[in-house]
Amino acid sequence: MRRKVKLRYLLIFILPSLVLYSLFVIYPIIGSLFISFYKWPGVGPMTFIGFDNFRSLFVGYFSSQLWNAFYHNIMFFFFTSILELGLGFFIALVIASNIKGGNYFKTIVYIPNMIPMVLVGFLWGLFLNPQIGFINEFLKIIGLGSLVQPWLGSMSLAFPTVIAVNIWRNLGFYVLVLLAAIINVPNELLEAAYIDGASAWNVVWKIIFPLSFATFRTLLLLLFIWSFNVFDIVYALEGAQGGPAGATDVLGTLFYRTAFGGLGSGATGMGLGAAVTVFIFAIIFPVSVIYVYSVEKRSSS
Amino acid sequence: MRKLFITLTVVSLLIVFGVLTFGENQVITIWSWRAQDAPVWQKVQQILNSEGINVTIKFTAFDPTQYDSKVNLALQTGTGPDIVYSRRLPGSQTESLIKTGLYLPLSGKVDFSNFPSSILKSVTYQGTEYGVPFAVQVCGIFYNKSIYTKYDLSVPKTWDQLVENAKILKSHGVTPFFVSGKDGWSLAMQHAMCGVSILGPEWIKELTDGATDFLAPKWVQLNTMLNDLKVYYQPGFLANSTNDQDAAFAFGQAAMVFYGIWGYGTWIQLNPAIANDVGYFMVPPLSTNEKSYAYSYMDGAFSLTSSCKNIPLALKVLQFAATPQFGTIFANITDNIPAVSGVVMPDVPILKQAVETYENDSSPWVYWVGSVFTTGSPDLYNNVLTPGMQSMYANKITPYQFAQMAQQAISQWYKPLQEFIKSYYK
Repeated sequence: MRRKVKLRYLLIFILPSLVLYSLFVIYPIIGSLFISFYKWPGVGPMTFIGFDNFRSLFVGYFSSQLWNAFYHNIMFFFFTSILELGLGFFIALVIASNIKGGNYFKTIVYIPNMIPMVLVGFLWGLFLNPQIGFINEFLKIIGLGSLVQPWLGSMSLAFPTVIAVNIWRNLGFYVLVLLAAIINVPNELLEAAYIDGASAWNVVWKIIFPLSFATFRTLLLLLFIWSFNVFDIVYALEGAQGGPAGATDVLGTLFYRTAFGGLGSGATGMGLGAAVTVFIFAIIFPVSVIYVYSVEKRSSS
Repeated sequence: MRKLFITLTVVSLLIVFGVLTFGENQVITIWSWRAQDAPVWQKVQQILNSEGINVTIKFTAFDPTQYDSKVNLALQTGTGPDIVYSRRLPGSQTESLIKTGLYLPLSGKVDFSNFPSSILKSVTYQGTEYGVPFAVQVCGIFYNKSIYTKYDLSVPKTWDQLVENAKILKSHGVTPFFVSGKDGWSLAMQHAMCGVSILGPEWIKELTDGATDFLAPKWVQLNTMLNDLKVYYQPGFLANSTNDQDAAFAFGQAAMVFYGIWGYGTWIQLNPAIANDVGYFMVPPLSTNEKSYAYSYMDGAFSLTSSCKNIPLALKVLQFAATPQFGTIFANITDNIPAVSGVVMPDVPILKQAVETYENDSSPWVYWVGSVFTTGSPDLYNNVLTPGMQSMYANKITPYQFAQMAQQAISQWYKPLQEFIKSYYK
């Protein structure tokens, strides 16, 4: 009897979020899976075409764009995780060592994180302008005029530049989270290690790093999900084309282009766009499951 | 007495109710991708009010890249505005909205006699008009007259003379062309406006009819000519946007830009002193025996939607938008060329020149916006010209590979081209 009452209350409490979740998460996911089997310009009748969208995406006309964008997502994940987690860990260590001014630095490094991504894109677009941009002018002033580059317009530099701007924006977040993990390492352990004569290097790698590894793992999984969802910074810096010539194209911008076309003059294909989202979902979903599982495990242990 | 009282009450209630409902329904909502048009509609409202038509026009502008999806969604759910700015025909966006009955026909309800038939083609679907055209755009090369005078240059008659001018400017340390390579659409436009003069409308007609293809020497040659011209663009041009381009041209930091007449309004807003310095010429052809053409097109139209709550009133607004009086207001406020004829243009020489160019030198055949090549997927605009120009300029592909890209994309769906390939390459 008691059990039944409990279940009823449980359902009542779950219901509101279940409704919202179904409406805004489950329905769109199933909806886009559904649309991906149709040819549909966004309005009017939908024509069932089976796997044609996937075919043109994976092996047909759009395949070169898809794999190019996919490659960039992987690279984006690779470099942001190495640099954001690596640099973040290093800076967090320095701050945790009670260095003078560390607290100020902690605040400063976090400030960019409070600026909306679109604004970051706009600002850096100005800074990186090849004619009047602050970066190139600065290089000229300090006598490094030979390094002046069209940062966002060069095939080889555009993507690293986008990653760099992204790191500038997000680094503060990783510093704060990793700092919290480092501070959580019990002081006794560190003291004991120093008494035993362990070098600073060994203390970092044998004690601090292993003890904050769970945080690393969580951040890494989140970074993976974010890297495959990335859209805003690329769109703000390089536009929906992921220019120059697809050098910064990611799955997010590819979806935007295929689904919505360009400025109303090109053909739009919601079905094709939906197929891109299904692909993104197929990549992210397993990782999300691992993420939820690992967070669950952490909180229960 | 009692009867009179009741009658009076009923009558006064009816009047109050009538006034209330009358007042309520007098709002006409308009959605647009052109934020600069807001003052136009304020003026229209003033005039209509002074003519005794009680209407309040609520104008909302959206980001151009999101505009179409917003309209699609709102109209399908019946929550759209009364009037929307619609895209030109042929084009899949407008065609789908017409086919599903979300745009209402205007034939017989609006007087279209003030529009030339060439413009009405862009709003007509299966013999019925679905929009009141508002503006036409003329593309070409805009140049800084002072810079041209300073270096004793004249308006080029051939492509070679254009290149020669650029060479002279460059030798004097002047940036000959400012190109916004980051905004791929402007590169597609550059290709298209050069195409009408270099390839010629005849050739483009053959391409449209399936009598030639994208691998023809002429098309490859056009690609090559554009690729060879890039040494005269500002350094790092693939990193510049149209905003950078507007600023550079308005302040005389570059001699020429490949652009459209709509840029003029922005330039004089940025730097009023540039007003008399802006000159225009069409992209010159290969030889003096050939004629130059301008890429011009109808920019868009006002369409009546199925969400409209007060059709008679919305029609009054649209009827006014089809008059020369509206065109005059539109031209004077936005410095754009109105689509309607009989307009008193503002006394700006370059606008008058653009109107003349539009009337006399427009290419009848085109392959960018307003052409059949943008009606299927992958389309020539977004999937070929935009990424292709960037790739070619970045040395990622050759002019020939760029041509192959077009061939491959369009042959996926365009029947006349498929048939040409079948018969030509067997």
